[in-house]
Amino acid sequence: MALARRARPRSPISVPSGVGVLVMRGSAQRTHLAVLVATLALACRAGSRPAPGGGLRVVDDAGRTVALAGPARRIVSLSPAITELVFALGAGERLVGRTTWCDYPPAARAVPSVGDGLNPSVEAVAARRPDLVVLYRSTLDAAAARAFERLGIPAIVLRQDRLADLARAAALLGRLTGRARAGDSLAAALAAVGARPGPPLGVRLAFVTWDNPPVVIGGGSYLDELAALAGATNVFHDLPAASAAVGLETLAARDPDVIAVLGDSGAAELPPFARRPEWQAIRAVRARRFVVLPGSLFGRPSPRAALAAAELRRLLAAVPR
Amino acid sequence: MKWLGLAAAAMAALALAVALGPTHVPLGALPTSDIVRTLRLPRAVLAFGVGGSLALAGAGLQALVRNPLADPYLLGLSGGAGLGAVLGIALHLASPWALPLAAFGGGLAAMALVYRLALLGGGALDPRVLILAGVAVGAFAAAVTTAVVSLSEPAELRNALLWLWGGLSGASWDTVLVFCAYAPLPAAVLLAAARPLDLLALGEEPARHLGVEVEPWKRRVYFAASLLTAAAVAVSGVIGFVGLVVPHAMRALWGHRHRPLLPAAFLAGGTLLVLADTVARVAVAPRELPVGIVTALVGVPVFALLLRRWTAG
Repeated sequence: MALARRARPRSPISVPSGVGVLVMRGSAQRTHLAVLVATLALACRAGSRPAPGGGLRVVDDAGRTVALAGPARRIVSLSPAITELVFALGAGERLVGRTTWCDYPPAARAVPSVGDGLNPSVEAVAARRPDLVVLYRSTLDAAAARAFERLGIPAIVLRQDRLADLARAAALLGRLTGRARAGDSLAAALAAVGARPGPPLGVRLAFVTWDNPPVVIGGGSYLDELAALAGATNVFHDLPAASAAVGLETLAARDPDVIAVLGDSGAAELPPFARRPEWQAIRAVRARRFVVLPGSLFGRPSPRAALAAAELRRLLAAVPR
Repeated sequence: MKWLGLAAAAMAALALAVALGPTHVPLGALPTSDIVRTLRLPRAVLAFGVGGSLALAGAGLQALVRNPLADPYLLGLSGGAGLGAVLGIALHLASPWALPLAAFGGGLAAMALVYRLALLGGGALDPRVLILAGVAVGAFAAAVTTAVVSLSEPAELRNALLWLWGGLSGASWDTVLVFCAYAPLPAAVLLAAARPLDLLALGEEPARHLGVEVEPWKRRVYFAASLLTAAAVAVSGVIGFVGLVVPHAMRALWGHRHRPLLPAAFLAGGTLLVLADTVARVAVAPRELPVGIVTALVGVPVFALLLRRWTAG
């Protein structure tokens, strides 16, 4: 209830005229109706509906229904992407726990770490006395989500593998933090970024995330989306998996113009495999055409997707052809 | 005749490995193709060497510990090598040779530890204690490996596991050269041990009466098999079942005498791994399977057949 009331004044939803007439009758009724309308509007949007005793119910990406008494005040984020999202929603000061990998924005480092995030220590998280725990959707985390449920700590599980997942997560987290408008506009912005591929750059690239065996990024991934946004083509776009082990021979035959690798920020040196003899069968390796993508910007779906795409485009354009 | 068949199978496997791949190279272009020269050929040669070495080491160890379950990894080597490799990944050792060297070092460390434990009972190397020590050290190394993996970054975790399942993606003429630098000596020691191993099969006491220097030979066989396995692990990860299944299959064909058994195991092991690697490269192209999965998929049914034959006979 508190959430709905908070969201009402900023709600972008126009009130239908029929309802408007009713609203004119009295201030008390008006408030109630507006709350009702806002809540209904929320219900229509993201699988959320009003809880019987006030508060909010949402359905998360694991299909679990989670109820909150009001906007979350003490949030533990168990993934770097969620930490970024919470800050982007302007609710960063409500984070009371993060993972060891949460390094952006810099203010996130001031939040106490509760561990790795995946398969978290339920006790370490509970010790932060959270009123909302956000987990990455994976088999490992399903058990943890149930454990939080048994402890009476609301926990939601969110998919964060692609831009669309992130947009959905932004809208959902916006509601759960009482910042529905910020959440919706962030979701709309992310959806807009995803809908606008950059002008073709004429560069075919392969993302190589491991060398032995060679592991590349396939079509079902955020990095593949970023490549399209940057106007480039991922030569392994046809692989439905997010990543896959492939043979060097296949890599040589697909013949990418550039090889992209994830690295530490600022490290511009070649990956170690660039010097290995068997990798010289690949034209881009022979020509030393690599781009090193900083992991904190490219390693996870992030609200900075547009920035990441622009940066990738800049890096690709700078590679000598 | 049997030898001719084995040689023909080896040749056919190598030819297939060179001719087949995820990309199409016309038959006429095979000798001049870059892909064949820099990727397929060294990989086929390395697969042959690794598979042969594993089978040879397995045959030697089965005779040494007089236990049909013995394989090159039973004695803790794979656990140690895996731990070495995972530590190498976790510590971000950047050199291209870091991973193989770390695996080799880990394997040798496990070997030394197992050897030391097996000597606890006195000066003699007790095969039963050797197996127990190997299993214990292997389990310990696996536990530490899991601890390291669970504390490292998720992406690295997956990659470490992929490496542990074995694969020949890192094959190049350099790798072949490195492997050829340290594999021949232990292989030669094992081949030379054919007669002592025959006599050891009768039991240590009878072997001693027949003039075998039992203790030195046991040590030689143990170290040679371990070194050979460590060399294989360093260039290819942990490839299972070759060292277990091939010696048993060859015993079914050649009998228990080690003079023919050991070279036959080498040839058959090499042939099997070349074939398995070809399947790994081609079956799900453009993706690639870990070759250890293919050897397990082929090895387990073959093993089941062998078991049936033995129990029926």
